[in-house]
Amino acid sequence: MPFTDREILETVRMVELETLDIRTTTLGINLLDCADPDLESTCEKVYAKILHHAKDLVATADGISSDFGVPIVNKRIAVTPIAFLAGASGASDLTPIARAMDAAAVEVGVDYIGGFSAYVHKGFSKADNALFESIPRALAETERVCASVSLATTRAGINIDAIARFADIIKATAELTADRGGLGCAKLVCFCNPVEDNPFVAGAHIGVGEAETVINVGVSGPGVVRSALARLGSGADLVAVSEEIKRTAFKITRMGEMVGREAARRLGTTFGIVDVSLAPTPAIGDSVADILELIGIDRAGAPGTTAALAMLTDAVKKGGAMASSRVGGLSGAFIPVSEDQGMIDAVEEGYLSLAKLEAMTSVCSVGLDMVAVPGDTSADVLTGIIADQMAIGMVNSKTTAVRIIPVPGKGVGEKVEWGGLLGTAIVQDPGKGGCKLFHSRGGRIPAPLQSYKN
Amino acid sequence: MSRRYLTAEDVRAAKGGEVVIDERTLVTPQAQELAAELGLAIRTAGGDWTEPVPDRGPDSPYGSRGEIEASIDGASSEGAVVTVVGLNRPGVLAEITRALADCGAGVRDISQRMVGEHFHLILTVEPEPGAAFDKLKQELECLGGKNDYMVRVMHERVFRYMHRV
Repeated sequence: MPFTDREILETVRMVELETLDIRTTTLGINLLDCADPDLESTCEKVYAKILHHAKDLVATADGISSDFGVPIVNKRIAVTPIAFLAGASGASDLTPIARAMDAAAVEVGVDYIGGFSAYVHKGFSKADNALFESIPRALAETERVCASVSLATTRAGINIDAIARFADIIKATAELTADRGGLGCAKLVCFCNPVEDNPFVAGAHIGVGEAETVINVGVSGPGVVRSALARLGSGADLVAVSEEIKRTAFKITRMGEMVGREAARRLGTTFGIVDVSLAPTPAIGDSVADILELIGIDRAGAPGTTAALAMLTDAVKKGGAMASSRVGGLSGAFIPVSEDQGMIDAVEEGYLSLAKLEAMTSVCSVGLDMVAVPGDTSADVLTGIIADQMAIGMVNSKTTAVRIIPVPGKGVGEKVEWGGLLGTAIVQDPGKGGCKLFHSRGGRIPAPLQSYKN
Repeated sequence: MSRRYLTAEDVRAAKGGEVVIDERTLVTPQAQELAAELGLAIRTAGGDWTEPVPDRGPDSPYGSRGEIEASIDGASSEGAVVTVVGLNRPGVLAEITRALADCGAGVRDISQRMVGEHFHLILTVEPEPGAAFDKLKQELECLGGKNDYMVRVMHERVFRYMHRV
């Protein structure tokens, strides 16, 4: 059956006017065979393997973009968590590996490379320890490397000792990049229940169960959903709103499926997943907050926000699930505060508090993302914020994450500009009090009853 | 013995004037530099070493296993959809179809609507077999202009994926 004019114009409108794009084509590369007793040789192998596999990534993605007329905004690389391969060398400073990753990223022309990572949700290996200690310098001295750590899972519980250490790492990273508004922390994220095929930075990495190389695609499209809801108008009830979001997510995901298949075919590798996530950017109209307002909330953060976001996330997942059997990654809706103009405005106008954001993270697809707090926020307060977030993920068997930036020298209400995709943040109030005793007790929160499934 | 990588350290440890490695071994850029510096030849059993084609792993042959492409009755799935929007004036359609003819592309379907002084034109075209898609795209998208009309060319597969299950 030929396409109708309506169908054709709908697709063209999505791409031309509603900023529909393939947000990222991420090549996952397993680096386990790069482990070497000599750190320098490890770095050489890491650099050589990334170059070897990714040298055609950018040209391939650009070729698909031009051949199909679909914009592919970012090309990225995700690698095996570096702690897994660093142990062989016994080195205590892993910054050289980060530099090798950065150099490879520059050479192949990708904007970010994720995987300076460790899994410590139950405890530290010597290599995990070295990786933790190396994070602040690695992020300060490189441009494109992203670090992520797993601090909790539903199966293992929450490693509070690791969270306390991570809080110190965040503060150290912010200090080392103080001249850039603590920018290093924007490349640093911690997870509960991390997904091993996430194509989006800062949490992108390839888990140990993944293939040698794999293409994962992230599709976005808050602008498309926003326009669809604007056309739907205020007369529709919530079932109709949910249906409209679902339909739109379906179409967006199909585009990702097509690009993923084609990219895998052209690169001769495996197609992993499509991550269908409404990922906002600072561009006007590309906002999740705007969608919440169209659903009927005064401003992001006002009463009703959590319910509206729950419906939005669920409808996106449902549309995606119908469109592709490979939906994976984080899929849902992201709420990175500084990257979403509607959220920035909501914080500035006093609608969106950190407490409300925390509630929203129990139903969004990730967690507290790109949140700025005062530079002098204490380690126990950061530990508490992260532990709360991990608890939400652990109990609800979902992925949660924290990407928080204690902006050096800035207080509550002050503005910080990171520029580009990272946007602008208003420093938020972390709330009264802290959790000094909880922090100093240390230890682990045991796995919840939900974990006993065997 | 076949090894995955040849590093600068391996080159330093090499005895004699050459290193013989497997064809699939990856020589790091540092090892290549050092070998050149030391005048050491890197060889495989079959001759000089050249960078192998990337081995994407045991799963890669199955990358597209089981994919069933949705098809449109009787139509090729490799066409292009051209949309043109702009202010109407005589000769627009002629310019578009002339450019298509120059590229050897035939028109399979065409429709045009007017909204006031503006028009939108949709053509489904069949590119010349074996022709590069991006050439057709470039030829067409440079037509028109800011206060005239805009041309957009997209692959038919995009629409098939989005609107046909």
